[in-house]
Amino acid sequence: MGLILKNVSKTYVGKKAVDNISLELKEPSVYGLLGTNGAGKTTTIRMLLGIIKKDEGEITWNGKKVDRKSVNFGYLPEERGVYPKTKIFDQLKYFAELKGMNKIEAEESIKKWAKVLKVEEYMQMPAEKLSKGNQQKIQFMTAIIHNPELVVLDEPFSGLDPVNTEILKNIIIDLVKNGKYVIMSAHQMATIEEFCSDILILNKGKTVLQGNLKEIKESYPANRVEIDVNQNIDKIIKEFELEIENEKNNVYTIRISNEEKAHKLLSKLVEEGITINKFEIKKPTLNDIFIEKVGE
Amino acid sequence: MKDILTVMKFTIKDMTKRKSFLISTLIILILIVIGFNVPNILKAIKGDATKDKLLIVDNENIFEGNLEVLKNADLGYEIEIRQSNYDEIKQKINDENIDSAILIERQDNNIKIRYIVKNTAMIENVPENIVSNINAIYTNMQISKLGLSLEQLQSITPNFEFLLEQTDEEKVNGNIFAMMLMSLVLFYAIYFCAYQVSSSITTEKTSKIMETLVTSTSPTTIVLGKTLGIGIVGLLQMILIVGTALISAKTFLDGELLNSILDMSSITPYLGVVTVTYFILGYFAYALLYALTGSTVSKPEDIQSANTPVALLTVIGFYLSYFTMMNPTSELNIFASLFPISSPFCMPFRIMMGLASTTDVIISILILIVTILVIAKIAIRIYSNAILNYGTKMSLKDILNMYKTK
Repeated sequence: MGLILKNVSKTYVGKKAVDNISLELKEPSVYGLLGTNGAGKTTTIRMLLGIIKKDEGEITWNGKKVDRKSVNFGYLPEERGVYPKTKIFDQLKYFAELKGMNKIEAEESIKKWAKVLKVEEYMQMPAEKLSKGNQQKIQFMTAIIHNPELVVLDEPFSGLDPVNTEILKNIIIDLVKNGKYVIMSAHQMATIEEFCSDILILNKGKTVLQGNLKEIKESYPANRVEIDVNQNIDKIIKEFELEIENEKNNVYTIRISNEEKAHKLLSKLVEEGITINKFEIKKPTLNDIFIEKVGE
Repeated sequence: MKDILTVMKFTIKDMTKRKSFLISTLIILILIVIGFNVPNILKAIKGDATKDKLLIVDNENIFEGNLEVLKNADLGYEIEIRQSNYDEIKQKINDENIDSAILIERQDNNIKIRYIVKNTAMIENVPENIVSNINAIYTNMQISKLGLSLEQLQSITPNFEFLLEQTDEEKVNGNIFAMMLMSLVLFYAIYFCAYQVSSSITTEKTSKIMETLVTSTSPTTIVLGKTLGIGIVGLLQMILIVGTALISAKTFLDGELLNSILDMSSITPYLGVVTVTYFILGYFAYALLYALTGSTVSKPEDIQSANTPVALLTVIGFYLSYFTMMNPTSELNIFASLFPISSPFCMPFRIMMGLASTTDVIISILILIVTILVIAKIAIRIYSNAILNYGTKMSLKDILNMYKTK
């Protein structure tokens, strides 16, 4: 069951914003939606939330067609926004009530999440008096205050300091543990790698890569080797016609086209009697895969 | 429906809690109370003598003491009659001991009467009531010298009966001042309340809260809830302002003065109900148009130019009503009372003047309701597509595309 998008398309005044994309989120987990700016992520999110109508395809949640009423979802949009002059408590209560909570449920939920997100002291203040980071936490609260089944987070960590990023990360982990389905869009590939089991990369409205993140990474051959030695080995690397991607204090990151070359390099270093502290053949990162797929 | 009420309640609470709203409403109410107290304030400053002081000087006793009757003639002046000369009069006027003076002198065979004031900038002629009263005193004085009998006297004294009549069959009640005042109040109430809708929507767009809002409820719910909320606040504010004005008028103004300005007999409960109905319907029509224009801009600085077409429409509607009011039995005034952009400003007068039948009112309201439904259909559709569109102000072509987009 869960969320299923099947061959979904959307065209804006002659321009195809989303072209025939499909995805499945069958069990509680975090699904990564990736793409450059204008790739069609926001349009996809808006369609799956029922804010805009799709032109083609099918979107279902637990077997039922998705519309604004049929799915209990929470949404943290990329465009952050709060009512600047209104008290935080009043606006949170307003959104909780619009999402179907009664007054008591709304107030209890506000109290609970304000404590978790450490924003209790701001509840009676107008939003304009809060820092950007705290405003973002308030908006995150708006997305989850009504205990939604499906949570869509568009760039949830942008603009947050490390402490607040950690708080939010823990909440997302807890959401999944509590059986919630999360769709996350982010530009920080490290964040996606940390959270997502499955990903979809969009480019110009089209799917360029999709599937289980671990399997995708496994399918790619190793593309670099990291070596920590106690002397300069530039000359040896040049002999093998390899490209040094990074070097600092004799710690090298070297690009390789196949693992065989890495093994030959290791043999040469041993032969030369160089002390090797670390020699690791690495698979491409998600960042590498992303750039390869969407880079011009 | 529940969501519409939630949006409405939030809008009302949010508006009425704003310091700017509370302070501006309070200032308007204070100004109204002060305005109606101006005569009392002047009285307190000047003492009881709020009437202008007029000095009459007849050094040669040309009127043989008969000018004394002017003191009881209710000319609107506090009159003093005594001997003086031009220089002394000038001094007294400059010192503001008196406001004006009449200096009567004989010159050859004529009698020269000078009406002296400090500055003639605001006066074109000698006041008509002074001229006619002095003429009458002199005529009576000369007639009595002729020793005429009562019959002779009656035969030369005009006893005309002047009557004002109209050729139109419809009888017009009320007075024009009250109607114009009401027209202005309705215009400003509808204009400013409707404008608030546009400004509120643009604020939600510029503060980027819209994205969260449309995922919480439908655009139709947002427009209707917001329009209802602002309308209720506007209606309450208008009732508060008109109520304060009426209570202040009754409490602070002299009854006769009030009746001379406003014909209170034409203000009936029926008129009140119809006026409120037209306020609500007129407000809805314009508020929905403002919701449309408000949704097409993303920056507060663009809101004024985006709203200009609707503002123009409001002003045209108002002036169509205002100018045809001068000729209330004309076909153009009847048209203005039925045409939806002007009927909210026009029909209440026709009712006040006793010119509108119940059928006219029903037809006018039905036309207005149908117009509102058409505007709502178009406005909500464009609003739904435009609210998530950020960037430069939309052109008419973009707005039409928004309407066509499903």
